[in-house]
Amino acid sequence: MTNPLIAVKHLKKTFEKNEVLKDINGEINAGQVVCIIGPSGSGKSTLLRCINQLERPTSGIVDFDGTDLVQESDQDLAKLGEKIGMVFQNFNLFPNMSVISNLKLAPMRVKGLSDEEATKIGMKYLTSVGLADKAEAYPNSLSGGQKQRVAIARALAMEPQVLFFDEPTSALDPENVGEVLKVMKTLADGTMTMVVVTHEMNFAKQVSDEIWFMADGVIQEKNTPAELFTNPQNPKTQDFIGKVLAD
Amino acid sequence: MQKVKKWWWQLFVTMSVILVAGLGMGQVAHADTSLQKIKDKGVLTVATAPDYPPFESQVNKNGVSTDVGIDIDISKQIAKDLGVKLVIKNMDFDSILVAVQTGKVDMAIGCINPTDERKQSVDFSNVYYHGGQSFLVTKSNAKKYQSASDLEGQKIGAQTGTLQYSLAQQQMMGSKVVGMGKTPDLIFALKTNKIAAVGLEEPVAKAYAQNDHDLAVVKANYKTAEGESGPAIAFAKGNPELVAAVNKSLDKIAKHHWVNGYLKSAGKYMQENTVDTSMLRYWHYFYNGFLNTTLIAFVSVFLGIILGVILALMKMSKFKILSWPAISYIEIVRGTPMMVQVLLVYFGLGAVINIPALTAGIIAVSLNSGAYVAEIIRGGINSLDKGQTEAAKSLGLNHKDTMRFVILPQAFKNIWPALGNEFISVIKESSIVSIIGVGDLIYELNIVRADTYRGIAPIVVVMVIYFLMTFILTRGLNYLEGKMNHD
Repeated sequence: MTNPLIAVKHLKKTFEKNEVLKDINGEINAGQVVCIIGPSGSGKSTLLRCINQLERPTSGIVDFDGTDLVQESDQDLAKLGEKIGMVFQNFNLFPNMSVISNLKLAPMRVKGLSDEEATKIGMKYLTSVGLADKAEAYPNSLSGGQKQRVAIARALAMEPQVLFFDEPTSALDPENVGEVLKVMKTLADGTMTMVVVTHEMNFAKQVSDEIWFMADGVIQEKNTPAELFTNPQNPKTQDFIGKVLAD
Repeated sequence: MQKVKKWWWQLFVTMSVILVAGLGMGQVAHADTSLQKIKDKGVLTVATAPDYPPFESQVNKNGVSTDVGIDIDISKQIAKDLGVKLVIKNMDFDSILVAVQTGKVDMAIGCINPTDERKQSVDFSNVYYHGGQSFLVTKSNAKKYQSASDLEGQKIGAQTGTLQYSLAQQQMMGSKVVGMGKTPDLIFALKTNKIAAVGLEEPVAKAYAQNDHDLAVVKANYKTAEGESGPAIAFAKGNPELVAAVNKSLDKIAKHHWVNGYLKSAGKYMQENTVDTSMLRYWHYFYNGFLNTTLIAFVSVFLGIILGVILALMKMSKFKILSWPAISYIEIVRGTPMMVQVLLVYFGLGAVINIPALTAGIIAVSLNSGAYVAEIIRGGINSLDKGQTEAAKSLGLNHKDTMRFVILPQAFKNIWPALGNEFISVIKESSIVSIIGVGDLIYELNIVRADTYRGIAPIVVVMVIYFLMTFILTRGLNYLEGKMNHD
């Protein structure tokens, strides 16, 4: 049995006196796609942000390929961009630069690639999300769906070992959701390791190897999509699945 | 509670630093070696405020302005007797005594009356001119006010802090004394009947009456104490040898009655100045002022932006050793008048290293502007979405690269209008540097007013110049802002 790529052990996060994550345990294997679902405020996004250290956990271990990220200094974490890519709900493209410059910045400044090499890689991933013709455009001229596809390409350009998605379609107009999910599905069907916080139940059903259901800062249940959706064990999961399927 | 305590502590530390630094600077040691030093250097440096003809004014000849007048001729004689070269430093009257105290100059001459208050901070030579005191009244009132006693109970104007002011207060029974900073302002108040008379040194009053036919002189009958009845030269305390040497020259001048000759030649210069008082003839004064004001504003805003970026980044640092100095600095600069800062840089810093007034002015305005720009930049950075920093962090960019490529370019675009406003306010507020004798627009304005005996026209000219500068700048900045938004 191979070691998991990411192993989370006894992870806790407290804001002021508010306990957002209470003793989270979980493993993500290379090549696996994990979707995290659950009601708003259950701690899904915080879990994602505590794993990639955008938020520092209060206690616990995040073992990434043998190193505990919680113990790493801020300087060492700078290399995290090569390990974990992040796609945000609000895209967070840099509006002061063109699309291709958005993609080139980190490969050049972090990996030290030349302009030429970075452009080549940038164009490769921009093509993979179907936006090669928008290379010179500025983010503000793009639609929401296009922005999110650029954001995915930007994360991919660092060629990370795992890609995190934090509610990637929640800020989109309904007509733009499909194009983003299609790109994500293509990635999931490939070899990409992915952790996706999402409210898109159909997407979760289709692409996940495993689904984590979170409520009240705890992972209530982990299972394959088939099992979790048809035969939930935990009463809270039953309640949530019931409501979601009723919609 | 913790927070409140921290603030008090910070305030306490900041104030202590200022006090210790300030007191330290005040203690400039004055062993009596100044006479020897002057002779060693071969230069006698004299501070004056050339807006008080006939004692001191500037003559405008072929585009070159030189200081002339009784006080200047006396200084020349003193330098000659000491066997050294004379260097004159022009500044505002309010600054010349400070210049002496802080050792920026060897002596100050400027029709200074040796009052008791002043004697506490500087030493004086003997009185070098006994012209007596007079009043100026308008010609139309000359019949009404034939002698000083007719003026009792009327409003009397005098320059603030002068002998004329205190004499009028003490001896003009029932009169209200109105103090103003500049003689041309007093004359204007007189002509517009805001006051009935202006108290002046006799030669000054006579000079005005000669050059302005709306004015007439009335002799004042003040009883004055010996040694206070005229102007004297000021020195830093504790230099008896230098004072004695200067007194020797003054005795010589008195013995030969040379002052009468000085007065005559000063009168000639004044006539030259007032032959043609059109503002066009003085264009190069305004042009000089314009150049200096522009130079100060551009350099100060440029340095201010650099300093502002550094201060803003320091203030936002999580390290207290960086953030506290920045916070204290910004609070102090924003909490004190720019005039005080200008004086502190010129005379305070000047006590340690000798810097010219223009440099001191630029440094002071830059230091001031830096604090304001820092707050503008900090606001610009804080207004950016937190997601920008997070995205940069998640890509692996370090703090420096995040600031350089992501945050600052966006922040600068956001704060462009605020920076433009700062630029415009620097142009206007830098006028305060005139008090240390930097030849900006306001300084040149005062000289032109003194030389031409015209109260209003120079003000209007300067106002138009300021307006054109800020108007053109505003248009230019708006144009650039529009261009940036096309990106």
